Amino acid sequence: MFDSVAPDRVPGRPAAPAPTGPATRRDPGALAVLGDLAGRIRPTAASASRLLPVHPALAPLLPEPGLRRGSTTTVAAAPGLEGALSVAMALVAAASTGGSWCAVVGVADLGAVAVDGIGVDLERLAIVPRPGPHWAEVTAELIDGVDAVVIRPPFAPRPAAARRLVARARERQSALVVILGRAGWPEPPDVRLTVASSRWEGTDRGAGHVRRRRLLVTGSGRRAAGRTRRCELWLPGESGEVGTAGSGTAGAPGPA
Amino acid sequence: MERLLAVRCPGLLEEDEAGDVLRVFAGVVAAVEASCPWVTVVRTGICTLPVRGPARYFGGEHAVVGVVTAAASAAAGGTVQVGVAEGTFAAVVAARTGTIVGPGGTPAFLAPLPLAVVGDRDLADVLARLGITTLGAFAALPERHVLGRFGAAGVARHAVATGRSGDLPGLADPGARRRLHALRHPAPPPDRQPGFWGGASEADARAALAIGRVQGLLGPDGVVTARLQGGRSPADRARDVPWGGRRSAGRPGGAGARPPWPGAIPPPAPLLVHRDRPAAELVDPGGAEVAVSGRGLLSGEPARLSVAGGPWDRIDAWAGPWPAEERWWTRGHRRAARLQVVTGGTARLLVVERGTWQVEATYG
Repeated sequence: MFDSVAPDRVPGRPAAPAPTGPATRRDPGALAVLGDLAGRIRPTAASASRLLPVHPALAPLLPEPGLRRGSTTTVAAAPGLEGALSVAMALVAAASTGGSWCAVVGVADLGAVAVDGIGVDLERLAIVPRPGPHWAEVTAELIDGVDAVVIRPPFAPRPAAARRLVARARERQSALVVILGRAGWPEPPDVRLTVASSRWEGTDRGAGHVRRRRLLVTGSGRRAAGRTRRCELWLPGESGEVGTAGSGTAGAPGPA
Repeated sequence: MERLLAVRCPGLLEEDEAGDVLRVFAGVVAAVEASCPWVTVVRTGICTLPVRGPARYFGGEHAVVGVVTAAASAAAGGTVQVGVAEGTFAAVVAARTGTIVGPGGTPAFLAPLPLAVVGDRDLADVLARLGITTLGAFAALPERHVLGRFGAAGVARHAVATGRSGDLPGLADPGARRRLHALRHPAPPPDRQPGFWGGASEADARAALAIGRVQGLLGPDGVVTARLQGGRSPADRARDVPWGGRRSAGRPGGAGARPPWPGAIPPPAPLLVHRDRPAAELVDPGGAEVAVSGRGLLSGEPARLSVAGGPWDRIDAWAGPWPAEERWWTRGHRRAARLQVVTGGTARLLVVERGTWQVEATYG
């Protein structure tokens, strides 16, 4: 399925419609110029393919064999669990190595070694660690120019603000991935990923080391995404990579 | 004198220009450190460690020798020699014959050795004419006579012969430690211009435009790109550079670009590396603070963890401790160590220094 996704930058695809809408309300003159500029420089990469590639291990969670441009995906973890950030980074990894620009907003202290291990091309990742009160504005700007934007809102945005970002992502054909911590997301996403269970392996009373984590992730969403899909992942695997974990615990080494 | 275990890698005693020998030896040291803390590099191909703590942990010095031999030979890809004695010199000699010299037996072990092993040809020649050809006979000479005839250098060798000192002049090579250090912290590669300006596609220009606007909002440092580099702690192994400035190459090229970094925590790496490390409290089942001894051993089994004054979480699993880097290069007094702790679905990397625990990273 990885191969079936068209590569980025296929020349000659039709241009996306010139942007209109929310942005123009603020400063019509300047934004019209920017919009025109953006409209002219959009075509090659952004709309070359409807889907951004995803790692094969994550593809079973999605309604399509890739991350659809313009879609909004939320990633959450069940109470007491971690892993949403890992899943979000894994979701955009293949896009970045395929040459797409990615950004992550609102994640301070991001460990670059781990992000690299997950498979993200760090050369293609813009990190905005501390957007502060500007997070929504920053996200909107990045949606304008970057193929996949991962955000972790510091608090649940007002419905109108969330709606604007979702609309902007759809319009600009950027994939928006929202990490839900304590903050919720008031808009129904196209795809909803949830870390349902998590188990670290490899440590035992001083021996061994944190070796890998088995994550059970579920995927659901609207329309064709309505059916709930489940997938067990190694995230991270033993070298920090993403991998498919077999069902059940067979084949999984116990604590060292 | 401290009982030391010495590891001698006969195939790694001479460095080569390409640095391959040094790199392999760095791997040997890392492999040894994975099971025993406080490894000291004596010179390229030779390292030592205090054996007392690991002996208590593994159940005797023979067991430690077995563990270290297996780890070191696997990493060296060839034969390694391991021995135990008091002091660096005797331990290295013991390693050459694979001997574990019993406690207090070091002077007797050294006595029959030819004088040439102390590496001073003039001294050996002069003494040979007097019929003194072994370390034992040399040790029997009064120190003042040695001082009068051979000076301070002779006294240093005499102290080694008597077993009072393990520091034979010329045995340790501080340069080897420096070179290993350089392997861990390579000089930054020359800057190059950002790829997306030269030959940039329209998508690149569009991204640059958007990112530039974000920098307009937050300042130039508001958008960063991460660079990987060599290092041992999670914080050492990456750095953030402002987006679009002079960006240097990602991984440093050439020598030392790749792990193993001696003493590094094994992969996978933690996803969050905390710039402001939250304080942590770690207690054993009896509620006593868990401490790490100078030998890298825990005072008790970690049972519960509290982060930043929060609620106590039960510890489901833990691993380590790993000695922190400063200690590895010097035998100084800085005692820091790292410990992995799993509570429920969360795995954290803790660091302890001067008795204070902090959360250095979260596996996220």
